[in-house]
Amino acid sequence: MASTEYRYIGKNTPRKDAKDIVTGKAVFLDDFSVPGMLIGKILKSPHAHAEITSINTEKARNLKGVHAVLTYKDVDQSWKLGWPPQKPILSKRLLYVGDSVALVAAENEETAKEALDLIEVEYELLPAVFDGIEATKDEAPQLYEEFENNVVTPGYPPFQKDGAFWHLEKGDVEKGFEECEYIAEDTISFAKKPAPLAPEPPGAIVQWLGDYNFKVWATSQSSYICKILNSSVIPESDWSIQTFNVGGSYGNKQSMTVQVTSAAVLSMATNRPVKVFQTKVEQMVAYETRLGSQVHARIGMDKDGVVRAVKAEWFVDTGSHCNATQGQVGVGIGEAQLVMAKCQNWDLDTKIVVTNKCPAGIVRGYGGQELNSCLSLLIGRTMEAGNFDPVEVYRKNYVCDGDEYIWRDGRKWKAHSINYTKAINETAAKFEWSKKWKGWGVPTWTSEDGKRVRGVGCGIIGNADVGEDNTEAYVRVVPDLFGDKSHVVMQCNVTESGMGQRSNLAKMVAEVLNVPYELIQLTPPDTVINPTGFGLCGSRGTITYGRAVTKAAEDVKQKLFDLAEPYLEVPTDAMQLENFGVATKARPGKFVTWKQLIPPDLTLTGYGKHTENFSTPNFFIVFLEVEVNLENGKVTVVQMTGGTDAGQVIDPATLEMQCQGGIGSASLDTALFEENIIDPATGRTMTYNMIEYKWRPFNEFPKYDAVMLSSQFDTFRFKAVGVGEIAGASAASACMQAISNAIGKQVSEYPATPDVILKAIGKL
Amino acid sequence: MKTKEISLCVNGHQYEFSVGKLFGQIPPSETLSKTLRNRLGLTGSKEACGEGACGCCTVIMNGDAVTSCMMLTVDCDGKQITTIEGLADPKTGELDPIQQAFIDEYAFQCGYCTPGIIMSTKAMLDKNPNPTQEEIEDALSGNFCRCISQYHVFNAIGRVVQKGGK
Repeated sequence: MASTEYRYIGKNTPRKDAKDIVTGKAVFLDDFSVPGMLIGKILKSPHAHAEITSINTEKARNLKGVHAVLTYKDVDQSWKLGWPPQKPILSKRLLYVGDSVALVAAENEETAKEALDLIEVEYELLPAVFDGIEATKDEAPQLYEEFENNVVTPGYPPFQKDGAFWHLEKGDVEKGFEECEYIAEDTISFAKKPAPLAPEPPGAIVQWLGDYNFKVWATSQSSYICKILNSSVIPESDWSIQTFNVGGSYGNKQSMTVQVTSAAVLSMATNRPVKVFQTKVEQMVAYETRLGSQVHARIGMDKDGVVRAVKAEWFVDTGSHCNATQGQVGVGIGEAQLVMAKCQNWDLDTKIVVTNKCPAGIVRGYGGQELNSCLSLLIGRTMEAGNFDPVEVYRKNYVCDGDEYIWRDGRKWKAHSINYTKAINETAAKFEWSKKWKGWGVPTWTSEDGKRVRGVGCGIIGNADVGEDNTEAYVRVVPDLFGDKSHVVMQCNVTESGMGQRSNLAKMVAEVLNVPYELIQLTPPDTVINPTGFGLCGSRGTITYGRAVTKAAEDVKQKLFDLAEPYLEVPTDAMQLENFGVATKARPGKFVTWKQLIPPDLTLTGYGKHTENFSTPNFFIVFLEVEVNLENGKVTVVQMTGGTDAGQVIDPATLEMQCQGGIGSASLDTALFEENIIDPATGRTMTYNMIEYKWRPFNEFPKYDAVMLSSQFDTFRFKAVGVGEIAGASAASACMQAISNAIGKQVSEYPATPDVILKAIGKL
Repeated sequence: MKTKEISLCVNGHQYEFSVGKLFGQIPPSETLSKTLRNRLGLTGSKEACGEGACGCCTVIMNGDAVTSCMMLTVDCDGKQITTIEGLADPKTGELDPIQQAFIDEYAFQCGYCTPGIIMSTKAMLDKNPNPTQEEIEDALSGNFCRCISQYHVFNAIGRVVQKGGK
């Protein structure tokens, strides 16, 4: 069905919370409080690796207004963060600058901070390791007894039900290389662990309910993921979790185990609700960053530009502890296959490594981006060796209907229905690629004085997680008490963190039931109020929640038709929904309201679900033109063009902003200036605030064009594929390619700051 | 300590505060952001970075956009302050044209930074109803938006300017 035939799908619709957002009425966690709430604060380690030799909390405990001070002596050492459970909530040994030394709960923030200053601690400093590859060497300090050479046990059971998946072995790699004409081999690093930097810092309020039960109010983009990862910290615990509007997450604010479990143990100690809300500096020093990624790889391409063999070892620096990084590694391996989908010979091994750095975890891009930023540069070198046009190579190699790949669950999947060739072509045309592309290492433009040069590059990525995990939904028809209309309640656990997905799902329900979108009511995001929903991650919302709410609405529709049969006296396939009732074209004038069909004071409930399916990977391509100042090494993005085919577009304005979002959240700019700079002597983060850490302000935005195709893929009723997550996932590698072409020298060091550029052109 | 009283006019309402260290008084160290959010319940502006770098806490004071996390409340005695809650018509609820344009142009994603962006825009347009693109960009350069609503924000402001603020 073309979008013109839909009432809401494919058309811009103001978000349900639009008025609340622009008037300041939308509620975020920090705008909310619970009666009796105390403020929790964390004393943070000043050392990257140390053992507490003595800790005295007496003065802090005696401060007026302090309700609890907890150290490792007070917290069960078997309650461990991460997967496998590895790091006590409070420990005698500290693993990064910013690690939790002690917890305080007090009447207010000022008192809590004062109490932190009164805690007396002595430390024995231990040798620290800050590099993912160095950490695996025998002489490196060991962070955990159970992780030999700091290599984390592979596998995350909720994602890998058949057993751990961390090593892709397929075909015969050596034979594959023999068939290759062009081979590139190198170690590429994307390991500066940039910060996704959501404007709203992470935080939670936790109320202990007795036994190991907790009520949580959190800044989580997915309360269900928050529940899963905190449940494995405290055995036999149960968490009921409510969320609010979330002030940016980018995949990053999900489990927040440090904040949630810190508040939980403080709540147990005080029997009061406790709020732990990080400051911006705490967020930037001690909250999860992007994974560090170092890849040694060998990639081979045949004479026609098709990748035939990949051998790689991927070191994934997850910082102080591993919070289900195994899932990201699985997806990273999967995404590499989507980009090189015709390759039958793989040996892609991985090691998740712990280091004495701030924890690294989930961020939009989910491992795939971190791996792609490395592998793409090597694919580029094979293309350069064969003098191939990168667009042509991507077109030949990118996954399409019928291609097989192993996904994060370790199972083989076959791509279904998708084909992105048209989207590649149309985006290239919009960017005027064929006009701008002059060949590898050749600038597209040089200023008259020769001091500025421009180059172009492109990058491609996709993710099959768009169908990940199971999710269910209810749709209820609630007859109005007066009048003869009804309301429709959409009941599913979806948090609004900027993607507009709550509203998009309401559009789908409105479409099925043929009611005004404005009248669809949404339950608040909460794990108890709603049926189970995995939350929004990996762009899964469109297909998974879309299918669940659509099926629930279709279930309602069928039930109404069945009930209407005695009234309308026509078969149900001749019925239609209109004006809060059921009608039939066959017998004009015959009409029965939903209210008449539903017994008084009851509601009619439909149920729908989605079960995991990885067969329809999405797609995003980024084209970039950059200008390099050869005198000072500064790189400016002149033009960015992002292209996708989202299947049926649900809401064009929202999708366009998701595309533009590829500039933010540690994506494009990880190639230019975004990095966490760590003092190698102390392990302290030098980029600890929003002045030291570089981000792109309003007056430095490039021209951006979004190309959004609206094919009808066989996914669910509305033929759509979610796509926002990966909008910037190939932007950094595209940027490196553009820079290299502008200056005629390979640049492979992220980010390409002026000193990197000047070094590359021999001026430094 | 001698008690000092200060007065703020916020969104047209006059508030008198007592300054001091006793419970309920405004300590000299309290920021305007805390006073607005915690005492007056005006939680629309957000305190995100606490150091004037992100602009989420932007309010208008005597006509200028200021980051309220960087102002001490005691220094705001006698000042006229408008917050995001004060933009819509208090009687009719009619939105300010800027707010309406942000809805019409879908000019936000998570919306956490949006109140600050709208207040910076309001202060700019009050002073300069016909800004150039460069002037708009400069006026908003202190507002952080990580979801990337910038392009739609420019469209929204363009819409307001085109309609002459109506």
